[in-house]
Amino acid sequence: MERIRLKIQLAAAVLLNIGFLNWHTICFPVLNCHSCPISVFACPLGVIGQFVAVGMIPLSVIGLLLLTGLILARFLCGWVCPFGFVQELLYKVPYIKFGIPNWLRFIKYGVFAGLVVAVPVFLSTNSPLYFCRLCPVGSIESAIPWAVMRGSADAVGLSVRLGIVFGVAILAMGHRRFFCKVICPLGACLSVLNRLSLIFPRRGDQCTDCAVCGKTCPMEIDTKKGKVAVFSSNPEECISCLECHKKCPTRSVNLWG
Amino acid sequence: MLRKVLVVVLFVLSIACLLYGAFFRRVLVYDNLEKFERLKNIGITIKIPGYQQNSEAFEVQSQWFTEPEVVNAMTFDGISRYKDGRLISNYPDLKMLKGRMPCPT
Repeated sequence: MERIRLKIQLAAAVLLNIGFLNWHTICFPVLNCHSCPISVFACPLGVIGQFVAVGMIPLSVIGLLLLTGLILARFLCGWVCPFGFVQELLYKVPYIKFGIPNWLRFIKYGVFAGLVVAVPVFLSTNSPLYFCRLCPVGSIESAIPWAVMRGSADAVGLSVRLGIVFGVAILAMGHRRFFCKVICPLGACLSVLNRLSLIFPRRGDQCTDCAVCGKTCPMEIDTKKGKVAVFSSNPEECISCLECHKKCPTRSVNLWG
Repeated sequence: MLRKVLVVVLFVLSIACLLYGAFFRRVLVYDNLEKFERLKNIGITIKIPGYQQNSEAFEVQSQWFTEPEVVNAMTFDGISRYKDGRLISNYPDLKMLKGRMPCPT
């Protein structure tokens, strides 16, 4: 299953940045910057920010996020998101590993409300605090390639962005999917619907409450007796990576059913 | 039961938002003649079909855009808002909002 997931993540990273296709009328609900010269779809966060800045609500984007949230939710983070894939690769780099307190996970909701919505509404999308101007994915896929292609860039802005990319990379090397857990505003949107999602790990009848799944979970979700799903404490963090399924001695974790 | 009801309500809401936003919603956008004039004043000539070179003939024009067209325009910063709340194209020609043409400046 891990190999299949790896192949899907790799294929998604390529297909979302295939270059010759430009369907920027459509958003795809993963963090993939539409300012990237080779991106295929628009990033929902960028579109939300631009729309709210001019006093409009992007209904098609909200509809898309709701629909994908109800069907897939954070399965997209675990199986499709190119930046999630990059973070998983970074975590394989030998480096000091560390844990994070649980309350840090709430920061991402603040990032969505503050930097994606409030800053464009009350300041503008030109504000240096606007999420897209700080987004590490935007820096990697857009700011750096465009600076190279143009041969010039705003030195201060690019330096700040490179500093953020470097910081996120270091944190991702030390803590698995640090950005997804703590910062990602798109993950925050999808996590709200995770509990209701159609594709989500569920506990089977053979479960013996051995809690092996909790010990192997990359998102560090506590596993207790749950009625809704496998996880009872914070299921909104589950990215459906199925590490729990792999390690479960009774194979009682299923993706749906 | 409550969960199922919530899922159904959200599902219906998502389909309604998606269909209305993607296929029925129209957004009125005005062209940016101020920018056109500014460009002309500094000596940059842009030939736009429908606009002649004499500035007396300029009239503010508007066009309805679908939401996906606006999404496309927004992804390369093609629309902004005037003080009175009107949406204007950041380009002198509204036709530029429908493609991925960069700003001529």
